[in-house]
Amino acid sequence: MSASLAQECNEVKERYDTCFLKWYSEKYLRGNGKTDDNECAGLFKDYQKCLKVALKDRGIDKLLEEAREDTKENDAIHMQRK
Amino acid sequence: MKVFSTAITFDYSWEEVSTANWQKYGPWNDKASHVIAVDTLNRRIDPTTGILRTERLITCKQSAPEWLKSLLGHMDTSQVYEVSYVNPAAKTVTMVSQNLTLANLVNVQETVVYKPLNAHQTQFVQDARITALCGGWQRIKNSIEDSLVTRFKENAHKGREGFESVLHMSRRAFAEERLKVQMAV
Repeated sequence: MSASLAQECNEVKERYDTCFLKWYSEKYLRGNGKTDDNECAGLFKDYQKCLKVALKDRGIDKLLEEAREDTKENDAIHMQRK
Repeated sequence: MKVFSTAITFDYSWEEVSTANWQKYGPWNDKASHVIAVDTLNRRIDPTTGILRTERLITCKQSAPEWLKSLLGHMDTSQVYEVSYVNPAAKTVTMVSQNLTLANLVNVQETVVYKPLNAHQTQFVQDARITALCGGWQRIKNSIEDSLVTRFKENAHKGREGFESVLHMSRRAFAEERLKVQMAV
Protein backbone atom coordinates (compact mmCIF):
# COMPACT_ATOMS: atom_id res chain seq x y z
CA MET A 1 0.00 0.00 0.00
CA SER A 2 1.02 3.58 -0.54
CA ALA A 3 1.82 5.95 2.30
CA SER A 4 -0.29 8.86 3.47
CA LEU A 5 0.93 12.41 2.94
CA ALA A 6 0.70 12.72 6.73
CA GLN A 7 3.01 10.29 8.48
CA GLU A 8 0.83 10.24 11.60
CA CYS A 9 -2.05 8.78 9.51
CA ASN A 10 -0.02 5.93 7.99
CA GLU A 11 -1.04 3.27 10.47
CA VAL A 12 -4.79 3.79 10.27
CA LYS A 13 -4.58 4.30 6.50
CA GLU A 14 -2.80 0.96 6.09
CA ARG A 15 -5.51 -0.79 8.10
CA TYR A 16 -8.25 0.85 6.07
CA ASP A 17 -6.57 0.13 2.69
CA THR A 18 -6.14 -3.55 3.59
CA CYS A 19 -9.79 -3.80 4.63
CA PHE A 20 -10.97 -2.01 1.48
CA LEU A 21 -8.95 -4.18 -0.90
CA LYS A 22 -10.32 -7.35 0.65
CA TRP A 23 -13.88 -6.00 0.54
CA TYR A 24 -13.42 -4.82 -3.09
CA SER A 25 -12.06 -8.09 -4.43
CA GLU A 26 -14.11 -10.51 -2.35
CA LYS A 27 -17.44 -8.70 -2.08
CA TYR A 28 -17.88 -5.68 -4.29
CA LEU A 29 -16.69 -7.30 -7.54
CA ARG A 30 -18.91 -10.29 -6.81
CA GLY A 31 -21.98 -8.13 -6.37
CA ASN A 32 -22.14 -8.54 -2.60
CA GLY A 33 -21.07 -5.08 -1.46
CA LYS A 34 -23.80 -2.61 -2.23
CA THR A 35 -23.72 -0.19 0.69
CA ASP A 36 -21.31 2.24 2.31
CA ASP A 37 -22.10 0.66 5.65
CA ASN A 38 -19.61 -2.21 5.48
CA GLU A 39 -16.82 -3.70 7.60
CA CYS A 40 -14.38 -0.94 6.57
CA ALA A 41 -16.63 2.01 7.51
CA GLY A 42 -15.22 2.43 11.04
CA LEU A 43 -11.62 2.35 9.84
CA PHE A 44 -12.43 4.87 7.11
CA LYS A 45 -13.86 7.25 9.71
CA ASP A 46 -10.69 6.99 11.83
CA TYR A 47 -8.49 7.55 8.78
CA GLN A 48 -10.51 10.61 7.70
CA LYS A 49 -10.36 12.10 11.18
CA CYS A 50 -6.57 12.01 11.00
CA LEU A 51 -6.32 13.07 7.34
CA LYS A 52 -8.69 16.07 7.60
CA VAL A 53 -6.42 17.72 10.18
CA ALA A 54 -3.37 17.14 7.98
CA LEU A 55 -5.08 18.60 4.88
CA LYS A 56 -6.17 21.67 6.80
CA ASP A 57 -2.70 22.23 8.30
CA ARG A 58 -1.18 22.15 4.83
CA GLY A 59 -3.84 24.35 3.24
CA ILE A 60 -4.78 21.61 0.80
CA ASP A 61 -8.43 21.56 1.93
CA LYS A 62 -9.10 24.84 0.11
CA LEU A 63 -7.49 23.65 -3.14
CA LEU A 64 -9.59 20.50 -2.94
CA GLU A 65 -12.80 22.50 -2.51
CA GLU A 66 -12.00 24.40 -5.72
CA ALA A 67 -11.18 21.21 -7.60
CA ARG A 68 -14.44 19.61 -6.45
CA GLU A 69 -16.37 22.62 -7.65
CA ASP A 70 -14.55 22.51 -11.03
CA THR A 71 -15.24 18.83 -11.64
CA LYS A 72 -18.86 18.59 -10.52
CA GLU A 73 -20.16 17.96 -14.03
CA ASN A 74 -18.01 14.83 -14.33
CA ASP A 75 -20.31 13.11 -11.84
CA ALA A 76 -23.30 13.69 -14.10
CA ILE A 77 -21.42 11.98 -16.95
CA HIS A 78 -19.88 9.07 -15.07
CA MET A 79 -22.47 8.25 -12.42
CA GLN A 80 -25.06 7.20 -14.98
CA ARG A 81 -26.15 3.65 -15.60
CA LYS A 82 -24.74 2.68 -19.00
CA MET B 1 -4.00 23.12 -25.70
CA LYS B 2 -2.04 19.94 -26.41
CA VAL B 3 -3.37 16.39 -26.28
CA PHE B 4 -1.65 13.16 -25.38
CA SER B 5 -3.41 9.82 -25.92
CA THR B 6 -2.36 6.22 -25.63
CA ALA B 7 -3.93 2.76 -25.43
CA ILE B 8 -2.39 -0.36 -23.86
CA THR B 9 -3.64 -3.93 -23.56
CA PHE B 10 -2.93 -5.87 -20.35
CA ASP B 11 -3.14 -9.67 -20.41
CA TYR B 12 -5.17 -9.80 -17.19
CA SER B 13 -8.91 -9.91 -16.56
CA TRP B 14 -10.79 -6.70 -15.82
CA GLU B 15 -11.39 -7.90 -12.26
CA GLU B 16 -7.64 -8.38 -11.71
CA VAL B 17 -6.77 -5.04 -13.30
CA SER B 18 -9.42 -3.08 -11.40
CA THR B 19 -8.24 -4.62 -8.11
CA ALA B 20 -4.52 -4.07 -8.79
CA ASN B 21 -5.30 -0.50 -9.82
CA TRP B 22 -5.84 0.37 -6.14
CA GLN B 23 -2.25 -0.74 -5.49
CA LYS B 24 -0.74 0.82 -8.57
CA TYR B 25 1.55 3.16 -6.62
CA GLY B 26 2.37 0.73 -3.81
CA PRO B 27 5.66 -1.06 -3.10
CA TRP B 28 5.09 -3.57 -5.93
CA ASN B 29 5.62 -0.77 -8.43
CA ASP B 30 9.34 0.00 -8.68
CA LYS B 31 8.73 2.55 -11.45
CA ALA B 32 6.66 4.96 -9.40
CA SER B 33 9.16 6.37 -6.91
CA HIS B 34 7.90 9.86 -7.84
CA VAL B 35 4.58 9.08 -6.13
CA ILE B 36 5.10 9.80 -2.43
CA ALA B 37 1.55 9.34 -1.11
CA VAL B 38 -1.95 8.31 -2.16
CA ASP B 39 -4.79 9.34 0.15
CA THR B 40 -8.46 8.49 -0.15
CA LEU B 41 -10.60 11.55 0.53
CA ASN B 42 -14.08 10.25 -0.09
CA ARG B 43 -15.73 7.03 -1.12
CA ARG B 44 -19.34 6.07 -1.73
CA ILE B 45 -21.48 3.60 -3.59
CA ASP B 46 -24.46 4.81 -5.56
CA PRO B 47 -27.31 2.65 -4.26
CA THR B 48 -29.18 2.55 -7.57
CA THR B 49 -26.35 1.97 -10.06
CA GLY B 50 -23.81 0.27 -7.75
CA ILE B 51 -21.13 2.62 -9.08
CA LEU B 52 -18.24 3.08 -6.63
CA ARG B 53 -17.04 6.70 -6.60
CA THR B 54 -13.67 7.45 -5.00
CA GLU B 55 -11.83 10.74 -4.53
CA ARG B 56 -8.08 10.53 -4.02
CA LEU B 57 -5.23 12.94 -3.49
CA ILE B 58 -1.97 11.86 -5.11
CA THR B 59 1.21 13.51 -3.88
CA CYS B 60 4.25 13.45 -6.18
CA LYS B 61 7.83 14.55 -5.98
CA GLN B 62 8.14 17.68 -8.07
CA SER B 63 9.76 16.71 -11.35
CA ALA B 64 9.26 19.69 -13.62
CA PRO B 65 12.26 20.65 -15.76
CA GLU B 66 14.60 23.19 -14.14
CA TRP B 67 13.69 26.07 -16.46
CA LEU B 68 10.01 25.56 -15.70
CA LYS B 69 10.65 25.32 -11.96
CA SER B 70 12.53 28.60 -11.94
CA LEU B 71 9.69 30.17 -13.90
CA LEU B 72 6.89 28.85 -11.72
CA GLY B 73 8.59 28.81 -8.35
CA HIS B 74 10.36 26.01 -6.55
CA MET B 75 8.27 23.43 -4.76
CA ASP B 76 9.12 20.01 -3.40
CA THR B 77 5.84 18.29 -4.12
CA SER B 78 2.93 18.55 -6.49
CA GLN B 79 -0.57 17.22 -6.04
CA VAL B 80 -3.22 15.65 -8.22
CA TYR B 81 -6.93 15.32 -7.46
CA GLU B 82 -8.46 12.17 -8.91
CA VAL B 83 -12.07 10.97 -9.02
CA SER B 84 -12.66 7.41 -10.12
CA TYR B 85 -15.84 5.56 -11.00
CA VAL B 86 -16.07 1.77 -10.96
CA ASN B 87 -19.12 0.52 -12.81
CA PRO B 88 -19.39 -3.18 -11.97
CA ALA B 89 -22.32 -3.78 -14.33
CA ALA B 90 -20.65 -2.26 -17.38
CA LYS B 91 -17.20 -3.42 -16.17
CA THR B 92 -15.47 -0.09 -16.53
CA VAL B 93 -13.13 1.91 -14.35
CA THR B 94 -12.97 5.58 -15.30
CA MET B 95 -10.48 7.90 -13.59
CA VAL B 96 -10.55 11.65 -14.09
CA SER B 97 -7.61 13.62 -12.70
CA GLN B 98 -6.40 17.18 -12.61
CA ASN B 99 -3.48 19.06 -11.10
CA LEU B 100 -4.03 20.95 -7.84
CA THR B 101 -0.57 22.46 -7.87
CA LEU B 102 -0.05 25.54 -10.08
CA ALA B 103 -3.65 25.19 -11.24
CA ASN B 104 -3.77 28.90 -12.02
CA LEU B 105 -0.91 28.53 -14.53
CA VAL B 106 -1.43 25.21 -16.22
CA ASN B 107 -4.38 22.84 -16.41
CA VAL B 108 -3.76 19.12 -16.90
CA GLN B 109 -6.89 17.01 -17.31
CA GLU B 110 -6.37 13.30 -17.59
CA THR B 111 -8.93 10.59 -18.24
CA VAL B 112 -8.11 6.90 -17.96
CA VAL B 113 -10.56 4.11 -18.78
CA TYR B 114 -10.03 0.41 -18.10
CA LYS B 115 -12.45 -1.94 -19.85
CA PRO B 116 -12.38 -5.64 -20.73
CA LEU B 117 -11.48 -6.74 -24.27
CA ASN B 118 -12.39 -10.33 -23.36
CA ALA B 119 -12.30 -12.55 -20.25
CA HIS B 120 -8.48 -12.44 -20.10
CA GLN B 121 -7.52 -9.05 -21.47
CA THR B 122 -8.15 -5.46 -20.38
CA GLN B 123 -7.66 -2.27 -22.30
CA PHE B 124 -6.23 0.91 -20.79
CA VAL B 125 -7.03 4.13 -22.64
CA GLN B 126 -5.40 7.36 -21.50
CA ASP B 127 -6.17 10.84 -22.71
CA ALA B 128 -4.54 13.99 -21.35
CA ARG B 129 -5.31 17.59 -22.21
CA ILE B 130 -2.71 20.17 -21.28
CA THR B 131 -3.46 23.88 -21.34
CA ALA B 132 -1.06 26.60 -20.20
CA LEU B 133 -3.06 29.49 -18.80
CA CYS B 134 -0.59 32.35 -18.40
CA GLY B 135 -1.72 35.31 -20.45
CA GLY B 136 -0.07 36.56 -23.63
CA TRP B 137 3.25 34.78 -24.01
CA GLN B 138 2.36 32.20 -26.65
CA ARG B 139 5.93 30.92 -26.91
CA ILE B 140 6.15 30.25 -23.19
CA LYS B 141 2.72 28.64 -23.20
CA ASN B 142 3.79 26.35 -26.04
CA SER B 143 7.01 25.42 -24.23
CA ILE B 144 5.12 24.59 -21.03
CA GLU B 145 2.60 22.46 -22.92
CA ASP B 146 5.30 20.71 -24.97
CA SER B 147 7.39 19.89 -21.93
CA LEU B 148 4.36 18.37 -20.18
CA VAL B 149 3.43 16.31 -23.24
CA THR B 150 7.02 15.01 -23.29
CA ARG B 151 6.67 14.09 -19.62
CA PHE B 152 3.46 12.14 -20.37
CA LYS B 153 5.22 10.28 -23.19
CA GLU B 154 8.15 9.33 -20.95
CA ASN B 155 5.83 8.25 -18.14
CA ALA B 156 3.56 6.16 -20.38
CA HIS B 157 6.27 3.53 -20.82
CA LYS B 158 7.28 3.56 -17.16
CA GLY B 159 3.63 3.44 -16.12
CA ARG B 160 3.02 0.33 -18.17
CA GLU B 161 6.10 -1.47 -16.87
CA GLY B 162 5.33 -0.55 -13.27
CA PHE B 163 1.71 -1.64 -13.47
CA GLU B 164 2.70 -4.94 -15.15
CA SER B 165 4.76 -5.83 -12.09
CA VAL B 166 1.89 -4.87 -9.75
CA LEU B 167 -0.46 -7.12 -11.76
CA HIS B 168 2.04 -9.96 -11.62
CA MET B 169 2.53 -9.67 -7.84
CA SER B 170 -1.18 -9.23 -7.22
CA ARG B 171 -2.02 -12.42 -9.16
CA ARG B 172 0.61 -14.29 -7.16
CA ALA B 173 -0.65 -12.95 -3.83
CA PHE B 174 -4.24 -13.96 -4.63
CA ALA B 175 -3.14 -17.44 -5.73
CA GLU B 176 -1.24 -17.88 -2.45
CA GLU B 177 -4.27 -16.68 -0.52
CA ARG B 178 -6.50 -19.23 -2.30
CA LEU B 179 -4.02 -21.99 -1.59
CA LYS B 180 -3.97 -21.09 2.12
CA VAL B 181 -7.77 -21.18 2.22
CA GLN B 182 -7.81 -24.57 0.48
CA MET B 183 -5.23 -26.00 2.88
CA ALA B 184 -7.23 -24.78 5.86
CA VAL B 185 -10.43 -26.48 4.67
